[in-house]
Order: sequence, then C-alpha cells, then structure tokens
Amino acid sequence: MVLEKKSSARVEADSRRRVLDEATRQRRLSRQLEALEKDNFQVRIAVPWILHQLSMTTPLSSLPPPGPTARLPTFSETEEPEKKRRKTRGDHFKQRFRKNFTTLLEEENLSDRAEPNYLSAEALPSSLPPRLFCCVCGFPSHYTCTTCGGRYCSSKCLLTHRETRCLKWTL
Amino acid sequence: MATLVLDNGAYSAKIGFSQEKVRVIPNCQFRSKTSRLKTFTANQLDEIKDPSGLFYILPFQRGYLVNWDVQRKVWDHLFGKEMFKVDFADTSVIITEPYFNFSSIQESMNEILFEEYQFQSVLRTNAGSLSAHHFFSSRPSELCCLLVDGGFSFTHIIPYCRSKKMKEGIRRVNVGGKLLTNHLKEIISYRQLHVMDETHVINQVKEDVCYVSQQFFKDMEISQMKGEENTVVRDYVLPDFSSIKKGFCKPREEMVFSGKYKTGEQILRLANERFAVPEMLFHPSDIGIQEMGIPEAIVHSIQSLPEEMHAHFFQNIVLTGGNLLFPGFRERLEAELRALAPAHLPVSVLQPDNPICYPWEGGKLLAHSPDYDEIVVTREDFEENGHFICEEKFDI
Ligand SMILES: [Zn+2]
Ligand SMILES: [Zn+2]
Repeated sequence: MVLEKKSSARVEADSRRRVLDEATRQRRLSRQLEALEKDNFQVRIAVPWILHQLSMTTPLSSLPPPGPTARLPTFSETEEPEKKRRKTRGDHFKQRFRKNFTTLLEEENLSDRAEPNYLSAEALPSSLPPRLFCCVCGFPSHYTCTTCGGRYCSSKCLLTHRETRCLKWTL
Repeated sequence: MATLVLDNGAYSAKIGFSQEKVRVIPNCQFRSKTSRLKTFTANQLDEIKDPSGLFYILPFQRGYLVNWDVQRKVWDHLFGKEMFKVDFADTSVIITEPYFNFSSIQESMNEILFEEYQFQSVLRTNAGSLSAHHFFSSRPSELCCLLVDGGFSFTHIIPYCRSKKMKEGIRRVNVGGKLLTNHLKEIISYRQLHVMDETHVINQVKEDVCYVSQQFFKDMEISQMKGEENTVVRDYVLPDFSSIKKGFCKPREEMVFSGKYKTGEQILRLANERFAVPEMLFHPSDIGIQEMGIPEAIVHSIQSLPEEMHAHFFQNIVLTGGNLLFPGFRERLEAELRALAPAHLPVSVLQPDNPICYPWEGGKLLAHSPDYDEIVVTREDFEENGHFICEEKFDI
C-alpha cells in the first residue's frame, strides 16, 4: 500500500516535468513504424538471451533482467560485403542499380499520374473508430499518459511505462 | 525448350521447371553469428548450424527490388550448377514482379534477363495474374475473382475479370509478414526477453503460435485470466540449436502455471501476443498505420468496380501468400465480409491447399497453355525493339 502511494506520487511529480507536443508524438510514431520496416535490428546492447533464465513467476509486464552488456561488433543494414572482388560491371551500371526505394519512388513522379499507381493503390484510412491498447501489456486501455500520449491500463503499467519508454524510445 | 517458373517473392523464391515440382527457397543472403565473414546464399541457410542472431541481406525494400547485387547472387545460385542448371539459350522464364512495379526496375529486369542471363524468352508478370490463371483454369465457369495476396512486405487486393487485371480496384495494405514478425519481436523483448536479434527464431514463433481470433475482445479477457482458466496462454520452448533444434509449444498438460520449469529450457510465455499480432491485418491502426484493414479494403476495392461484377467478386475471394496462413484467418475474413457486404450477395472466401505456391502452379499451367509462345518476348524481339516491346506485351 505504502509502496503504491509512493509510486503514484512519483508519477505525478514526473507528469509535471514535461509534455510532448503533437509534432513530437507524430515523429515518435513514424520512428516506431520505421523500425518495424528494418530487415535486421541494429544491436546496441547485445543480451544473449540464451544465457537468461526466465522465471515463470515473473508477471508478463516485467522487464528482462539486466543481462551482460557485451558490445558485439554490429552488422550494418547497408554494408556491402566483398566489395573489392566485383569490378566486372561498369560504374554507370552500378549507379543505376543502386537506388533505394525512396529515390525510385520519387523518380516515378506518381503524384502527377492519372492512372492507378503505387500511391493511389494505398488503402485509405479506416472509417472504424481506433482501438486503444496499453503500450506496456497490450490489453485494452482506458487511460492516456499526459506526457507522451501513450496508452496504459493500470497504475502498475503506467509506472513501467514512465520508467522505460515514456520519454525515450528505447527499441 | 524448357520453361522455368520463378515467383520471385521478397522473402522466398518459388521456383521450378514447368515439368517438375516447385521448390520454396529463401530469396536472400545470410550471415551468421558464428561465421561472420562468410555469406550464405538462399538455401545455403541449411548449412548454418546455429542460426541464432542470423543477419538477413534482402534484395527487396518495401516490396520492390532495389538491391541487385544480392538478387543476382541469389539468381546465380538458383540458375547455376548447384541448383537448376539452366541452359539459358534453350529456356523460357516466367518471372513475377510486384504490382505497379516502378518503370526503372522493369527496365533493369529486361536488361538482366535478356542481356546478362540471355534467356531465350521471357514472360514478366504479377503473382496475381498467375493465381488468376490458376483459378480460372480450375473453375472455367467463373467470371471474376478477387485475390488477396499476403506477402512479406504488404498485402494486396487484386480484382480480375477473366484474365484482365482491374487496376483501378487494386488496394495495398502496408502490413506484411515482416512487420508482424518485427512487432512480435519488439513486444516480446519489451515484456519478457531480449529477442531483437532473433528475427529468424521469432518468425518461427509467429508461425507456430499466432492465430486470428474469431472473438477478439473475448480472447483478450481469456488471455488475462490466471492459471488453467487461461486457455489462450502457451509456453514456447525456444531452440538452443544443440539439443533443441526447433522451437515448439509445450503440450498443455505439461504446462506449469505457477512456479518455474525444472527442465532448464528457455521459455517464452505468450498470451495476447498470439492473436494481437495477426490482428494488424484487420486493424493496421492498432499500431498507428492509418489504413483500412483487409476486410474494409476488399469492400472498398469491389465498390470501385462495375456494379454487375460485385456479386461475382464477393463469391470468389481467393487467399494466396504465406502471410494469410494464420489459423482462423479465412473464417474471420469471411465473417467480417459477410457483415460488410450487401445482405443479398453471397460471400465466399476460398483458401487453396497451398496458398504459397498457388501462383507458381498457375505459372506452370500457363507454360503449358497453347498460346504461351504468343505472350512471351523473345531475345530477338528485345534486341530488335528494346523495352518498348516488353511494355507492350507485359501487364505489370
Ligand atoms: Zn497494461
Ligand atoms: Zn508517457
């Protein structure tokens, strides 16, 4: 009981600190969606999960135990292996065949086109009301974090949210 | 002359000669944690004994072919002596591309297929067109079908009236298998165990435990219950790649609901994750993607087409692609469409036996059709007329 009071007092103190504006919230969202497009995760702190023993008594919402924070050399999304060996194809060729998705999309100039195309085919926004879930445990949520606009379902989840993600995007 | 059919997906290539069986092979390269300097191509994945921390190098970005170096390495491997031993001068190739493929990528395809590999003839098409050919071959009395193609990068809805692709009705929902796996990876890492590097393992978890709920909020309630009452929760034993080669779900009777397992296995406990992840296909807005889900987008697509076709589309909705294989997907989609469609129109969603290879099988049928020679472009044609002839003949 005492513990809970303390933590809710801390939550209140936190909430007076800072409120993220709408633009920042949108930026965070697009960064999150961007991360979901990655082919590989960029390892910042590698925690070899094989070493961890997960206790089944731990509630779902608890965080992974702090593991050994060894820094492994990282792979890069754009890294080009064996670059030196291939010199057979001309530079012109290489350049043409080295455009990323965004460049190619821009070059198509689709916004001027009348016929159906990549841009016009995207599904429109839904007409259904949004469904709201706790950003900690994933169950339906009724409350909004005043700082970042994230959703939570209980004071326990709010606390976890404040301590882990509220003002930082960690993953 | 042989015909090679290649459904060139962003995640897997479905490939085989039209006289033979199809093979499904990863369309990418890998590097493993244990041998960092070596790059493994396509099915060389099988040589990697410990695929934890597997690093993917993919030729596709957001569903479009951009990394040609990687793509050519994979094709060199597939066409080469270790795999299909293609005799290019005497081989025709049927190859698929994404819907609305960019014109510069289309030109690159022509050049690489005709000039680099020197195929005798080429048919470039969409996976959907091959699926439609498959569908109408097996049901010659039908006039229309609406394909739902759920892939690695996104999900497309493509209406066909006979062999004609109705471009104005194509819809794309930017939810594919990659997004679902990445989302699952992220929520598991946040809630219980750091698995951000384990795309390969978590993809398997997704395929083994995720399902589409028929009663979403009811399942939410059940998955919140304690002990035996929670019929949703599963414990997944992760592979350690020595004694456990492949992960699996603990049988219900062996599950320990309170306290620890004494077996020392590495376990993930999955409850609402099991059905909340595939739910993105129905509600992309659940994670902030402001797009219609698949049922809504299907209705929107059909409404954009001539009214006399509506009944035919609602009756012939065909699911293809690996990302729609979740148990319960077909039933849920049919139920939601039933509720959204005009009451007097029958709704029927069909799932072929093998949705992943359905387009490939269509390509195989097409290769044996009497007018196949009419629809390809030969190397001489291309040398004479260039890209123009391909634009004329191919419907991408
Ligand atoms: Zn919560
Ligand atoms: Zn917050």
